[in-house]
Amino acid sequence: MVSAYSQYAWLIPLFPLLAFLILIAIGKQLKAFGVYVSVVCTLVSFVLSVLVFIERLGGNMEGYTWNQFKWLQLGDVNLYMGFEINNLNALMLIIVTLVSLLVNIYSKGYMDGDDRISVFFAYVSLFTFSMLGLVISENLLMLYIFWELVGVCSFLLIGFWFRKPEAKAAAKKAFIVTRIGDVGLFIAMLLLFWYIPGHALDFASIHNAVADQQIPGHIVTWIAILIFVGAVGKSGQFPLHTWLPDAMEGPTPISALIHAATMVAAGVYLVARMYDIFLASPEALAVVAAIGGFTAIFAATIGIVQNDIKRILAYSTVSQLGYMMMALGIGAYAAGIFHLFTHAFFKALLFLGAGSVIHAVNTQDIREMGGLGGKMKVTAWTFAIGALALSGIVPFSGFWSKDAILTEAFHHNQLLFWVGLIAAFFTAFYMSRLFFLVFSGKQRSEYEAHESPVSMTFPLIVLAVLAAVSGFLFTPFNGWFGSWLTGRTVTEEASAIVMILSTLAGLAGIGLGWLMYGKRSVSAEAVSGRFPQLHTLLYRKYYIDELYDFVFVKPLKKIGRVCHAVDVYLIDGIVRLLTGAGLSLGKFAIRIQNGQVQSYGLIMLLGLLILAVALAGRRFI
Amino acid sequence: MFANLVQFLSNGTNVAFFVFALFAIGGAIFMISFTKVVHMVTAMAFTFLSLAGLYVLLQAEFVAFVQVLIYAGAVSILMIFGIMLTRHDKEESQPNRPLHNILLGIGTVGLFGILFYAIQNANFAPGEFHPGEDNTMEIGKLIFNQYVIPFELMSVLLTVAFIGAIIIAKREED
Amino acid sequence: MTDAIVTPYLTLGAILFCIGLYGALSKKNAIIVLLSIELMLNASNLNLVAFAKMGVNPSLTGQIFSLFTISIAAAEVAVGIAILIMLFRNKGTADVDEMDSMKR
Repeated sequence: MVSAYSQYAWLIPLFPLLAFLILIAIGKQLKAFGVYVSVVCTLVSFVLSVLVFIERLGGNMEGYTWNQFKWLQLGDVNLYMGFEINNLNALMLIIVTLVSLLVNIYSKGYMDGDDRISVFFAYVSLFTFSMLGLVISENLLMLYIFWELVGVCSFLLIGFWFRKPEAKAAAKKAFIVTRIGDVGLFIAMLLLFWYIPGHALDFASIHNAVADQQIPGHIVTWIAILIFVGAVGKSGQFPLHTWLPDAMEGPTPISALIHAATMVAAGVYLVARMYDIFLASPEALAVVAAIGGFTAIFAATIGIVQNDIKRILAYSTVSQLGYMMMALGIGAYAAGIFHLFTHAFFKALLFLGAGSVIHAVNTQDIREMGGLGGKMKVTAWTFAIGALALSGIVPFSGFWSKDAILTEAFHHNQLLFWVGLIAAFFTAFYMSRLFFLVFSGKQRSEYEAHESPVSMTFPLIVLAVLAAVSGFLFTPFNGWFGSWLTGRTVTEEASAIVMILSTLAGLAGIGLGWLMYGKRSVSAEAVSGRFPQLHTLLYRKYYIDELYDFVFVKPLKKIGRVCHAVDVYLIDGIVRLLTGAGLSLGKFAIRIQNGQVQSYGLIMLLGLLILAVALAGRRFI
Repeated sequence: MFANLVQFLSNGTNVAFFVFALFAIGGAIFMISFTKVVHMVTAMAFTFLSLAGLYVLLQAEFVAFVQVLIYAGAVSILMIFGIMLTRHDKEESQPNRPLHNILLGIGTVGLFGILFYAIQNANFAPGEFHPGEDNTMEIGKLIFNQYVIPFELMSVLLTVAFIGAIIIAKREED
Repeated sequence: MTDAIVTPYLTLGAILFCIGLYGALSKKNAIIVLLSIELMLNASNLNLVAFAKMGVNPSLTGQIFSLFTISIAAAEVAVGIAILIMLFRNKGTADVDEMDSMKR
């Protein structure tokens, strides 16, 4: 029974791939029907994932591995490709296919009328395929291939409306910044390949090699840090976070799918998958926790002053990913993955809700919105549930997962606990600011708002339900999730102090937001008026983009111009020289062909001399 | 080297050879360097005559006679006829083709160098030569006994040549 | 005749041949070109007769050969002059430079 469904798990990524191929081939002719192709294929994948997941719920910790496909043979080193199903994978499969399915359904309503809609769905299906392939990869090389493929899909989708120059720039930025992280991952992969006996890169061999301590200690630290660099790029941690807010140029369903629920979670997934290596190196874990914690509070502070609804949510994503990394860094493996699980649902919900709002009012600036609560009831209620979950209010899922992390932090590292708590306060504040500015109060600009179509509200409702109840899988009273995931009985220590403090932080944030933006009894300019430079600093994202531009982008562009000059003058010059030489040789030789017998006779004479010397001259050399 | 030259010149035959050779080469060079066409033909005739003298030295009297008759006689006159019928001016104007002439000079000198080198390094062990009493009779005997076929062919060739020349140069009936 | 060697005659022939070659390839008037060709033929005749007397296998064959050569040369001159007269009638000039139909 163990492998009845798991052995067919390789089909799960193939259905979206099939949808991609169909849509690329005949998408133009299918037009709107292409939507259904994508939805059906994702639905099939979802069903298969559910079956696999149910099978995995059986409690057997043994994963199912199949790696018989010999992909590459280099001398005496063989590289195999295959797939693997274990508890972590199965969970990720559920997350990815469910969110992808809901986004597909949502996009039918959101992208309705776009003339490249089948291309959009093709790209979404390709992304789903890549993400699923990444999740069930059996070895690190295969994971890297899908990792890159996911990055490509992200690039294609961010730049989907490529006629907008901001979209093009954002797509390039996303790809390049994540690429920097990918280099780190690649170097880690090379180091592993070098040091593991047998040159095997599959996760089982890595686990064995680390357990048997066959890799020198400092190398393990380096490998772990480099893997984390890859995760930093993909998950948008500081300092490679700059691409995520700009990625909001893409359509909102994409922001929900890729930049909230799945692709950015790939970094967290990678760290979790390679957790053995991290456990073997406490220094690397410290780095992970530090960067995660710093990012959490850093992004939260930027988020409180932004005015673009999607950008606020983007910084929120960066901040929450920081929480997950922090959790993994302090050893709270189950808590981190649980937060990934709940975050996927409520963040996707929030993004889809934001998309619904944008679809209705055609603007993304929250200063121009207001009073939508009355006209868009479903959106408003689901958005509220998502915001409460994100802020960590009981009994929504975010409370349980964030609480798990904060409890572990309280017991292991007090500094990180306070950092996480303050970030939670800021999170609650900016979410309530967002909510009140958009949904309550009076309408601040001219628009006719109405509720979105069913295709858009249905996913909102499903996600709202999940955001509400998924938290009960892992509470201090029910440690099932942790035990199932890690194979050890994990009892979450219930710490009343933590629960009270986190709830207080959440309520304080919401209260402050309500006072400032809901009831308007405290002026919004209270703090920002007194410290305008602080406000500007936060609004301009700590000037990090400008810093990068000055340090990296401009010098690189100069180098590029130099290289271009070299290319035009030197290389092209050589080519032109050669062509010129050929041409002038031709022009010169034309003069010989003048039709006069005496010229021909002369050439014959010279040829005869050369021939005679060539044939008989050997004796003199 | 000069001893060789003096010894070479002590023999009468060699002196004669030297003189005739000088005349021949001189005539050829003058032909190249004169400007007027008729002068060139005259110099050429002079060369032909010198060659005839050389043939006599080589005990080929009949050939010498034929040389004078045909070359210095018929061919030279034919050339002058050609000049008369085609000339528009008296001068041979120098064509301005310096590169061509330089290359030609190099080529010619090179060719001569190769030939000279080959001649000097070749080893011709001379055999015995029996010229016979009367060169003409000997030649006649040979032609009409051994080489009669080429002789007949030669007559055919000459007939064809003169008929051809007439046809080519015939004035078109207008 | 002992002590008679063939080398001076061959050298002389070579000199005359080269002079004739120079003339044939550098003169502008077609008549002079024909004349230079005649010079080259004469040089080869000289070679033939010299070998007839002082070669490896001396006999009168060389002289016969040279007689034939002379007659062929005469025929060739006749035809050549005829062609030249025809060309002069058509082109109006006897310059070799003007005869460049082989250009294309």
